[in-house]
Amino acid sequence: MMLEVKNLHARISESREILKGVDLTVKAGEVHAIMGPNGSGKSTLAGVLSGKPGYEVTAGQVLFQGRDLLAMAADERARDGVFLAFQYPVEIPGVNNMYFLRAALNAVRKQRGESDMDAGQFLKAVRTKLKLLEIGEDLLQRGVNVGFSGGEKKRNEIFQMAMLEPKLAILDETDSGLDIDALQMVARGINALRGPERAIVMITHYQRLLNHVVPDRVHVLSGGKVVKSGGKELALELEQTGYSAYGDAA
Amino acid sequence: MSVLAEIQPYVEAFKARPAAPEPTWLTHRREGAIRRFSELGWPTRKQEAWRFTDLRPLQRAPFPPVAGSVRATEADIASWRYSGAAHRIVLVDGAFAPQLSAIGELPKGAWLASMAQTLRDRPDLVEQAVRETDTIGGQPFVALNAALFADGVVLALEPGVALDGAIEIIHLDRTAERSSQLRNLILLGPNSRATLIETYAGEGAYWTNAVAVIGVGAGAVLRHVKLQDESAAAIHLGHNRVELGRDARYENFTLSLGGRLARTDIHLKFDGEGAACGLFGATLLRGEQEGTIATVVDHAAPRCTTREYFKSVAGDRAHGVFIGTIGVRPQAQKTDANQLSKNLLLSRRAAIDAKPELEILADDVKCSHGATVGDLDEAALFYLESRGIPVAEARRMLIEAFAAEVIERIEDDATMRAHLGRHVARWLAAGDGR
Repeated sequence: MMLEVKNLHARISESREILKGVDLTVKAGEVHAIMGPNGSGKSTLAGVLSGKPGYEVTAGQVLFQGRDLLAMAADERARDGVFLAFQYPVEIPGVNNMYFLRAALNAVRKQRGESDMDAGQFLKAVRTKLKLLEIGEDLLQRGVNVGFSGGEKKRNEIFQMAMLEPKLAILDETDSGLDIDALQMVARGINALRGPERAIVMITHYQRLLNHVVPDRVHVLSGGKVVKSGGKELALELEQTGYSAYGDAA
Repeated sequence: MSVLAEIQPYVEAFKARPAAPEPTWLTHRREGAIRRFSELGWPTRKQEAWRFTDLRPLQRAPFPPVAGSVRATEADIASWRYSGAAHRIVLVDGAFAPQLSAIGELPKGAWLASMAQTLRDRPDLVEQAVRETDTIGGQPFVALNAALFADGVVLALEPGVALDGAIEIIHLDRTAERSSQLRNLILLGPNSRATLIETYAGEGAYWTNAVAVIGVGAGAVLRHVKLQDESAAAIHLGHNRVELGRDARYENFTLSLGGRLARTDIHLKFDGEGAACGLFGATLLRGEQEGTIATVVDHAAPRCTTREYFKSVAGDRAHGVFIGTIGVRPQAQKTDANQLSKNLLLSRRAAIDAKPELEILADDVKCSHGATVGDLDEAALFYLESRGIPVAEARRMLIEAFAAEVIERIEDDATMRAHLGRHVARWLAAGDGR
């Protein structure tokens, strides 16, 4: 099993509980969508799974390929194949994108028992993936995400995912703020990564990304719990009815 | 030790100094200077300029001037050599080391030599390096230096002379419980141009007391880089007195990495209209390091520009200080000055004092200043970690980026930027003192 979330309770340190018993099981090869109204706990779930500081797990368990994910530090999780595409990618002035990417890739490869890529191999891999997401090579000479448009930042997340080839990718609102062209590029990037060895969890408020990346399973998160699960048709149903049936007036 | 007991060994050293042939005026000034030093004693923390600097490492034991240097080899200076240098002067334990120096070919009108040689051959030049002010001013370390200095470096360019390759000066000190009293003189005639990088390095618990007198003539351009990479037990005090003529350009970058106690003072005066200075630097501190940057910029002429930007990083129990004053005199209209100090605290026991200050007596000026102290950006750190980069490496990348941002201020000189960047990376490779 790629990911097993069992009765997960979590809060933002010292404040009220946001996740109130999340259960979720994701198998290798599957794409899951987690949908839900604002404030349902979607981003908290992404944060807890990726090891973002500031969250406190008060009960429950998360297993990643049978291992206790919550016991691992964020960088360990990433090296073991967990990837988070950020809802708001962080700008890091002074840290060159290319340098950053190479450091990340070499850290991940080392964990997989692979040697560092030489400059030639690295550049070749970079160029192939850049093309897929239509990102200009010049962007990589800047600081990480510095001077990127909103859409470029989101595409850069998927580009990094394509480079790092994670086992489990968690995409936090990757579709938000994208125009239709960027949405299609991002979808293309995600679809290219689908495979029997990999699981993808897409967290989204809207159904539109799911027209381009068709999920195997759809879950509705509301009030800190998964309240309904179904096939891809559940997303279409939500598009019709909204989240009102799940406790959100919006 | 009582104040008297602390300064007495230096007064004794002055009396016992080896007789070197020197001009009478110099002997007189030295006598005046040692008197002034005896009157002043060590600075105390009651004096504003020394309020934050803990001088105790210097006060624990006397550091009489070193006599006779230990022989050094090429290998000893290899880590600090600068690839962009066309002229090199090396001083070992405060004395010119001809076997390691390579002054190379100089254009007509350029003088580059040790202070000792200049004293013999061009005493007229040295007269500008030791002034009456040393014997009446309020700087005890400058006065002590005037009394005791034996060597240093002199660069003098006649009008219009441009040096294309950089000059590199390496100071290597390795004699414990001794001091190198260095007097450097840099005089750029009108419309001349030079780039200078001075590096201070060594092994053991010694004291370097360096004073530089710098004059940049009308329309002349000087880029002055200092790499302070003294040993972890050493004390470094460096005082730069800079005067800029009309339309002169002076850029100073100080990268401060070493020393148990290290302080760089820059006292700069605009003497002519339309001149500009850029004072930049990065200080990295860990362990029990104590590092101070102190600047005083005196806008005594109209239409001059100051750009000042210093950054510091402190880990472990280290203590960083930035104390900077920009003064604008009544006649200095159209002054354009800004000053910024940005600091990063890496541990809860580290401390940073930042005190930027403006004193403006003219009414038509553009001046600003600011200071920030913060932690490593947690969001940036998590972003790097979330990609698999180990925490220690992620921290290094962010600290390196923090320093790199000010190194970028050195324009049009990628070789110099890369050189300083490498030394930052080398420092960080030994841990950041979290």
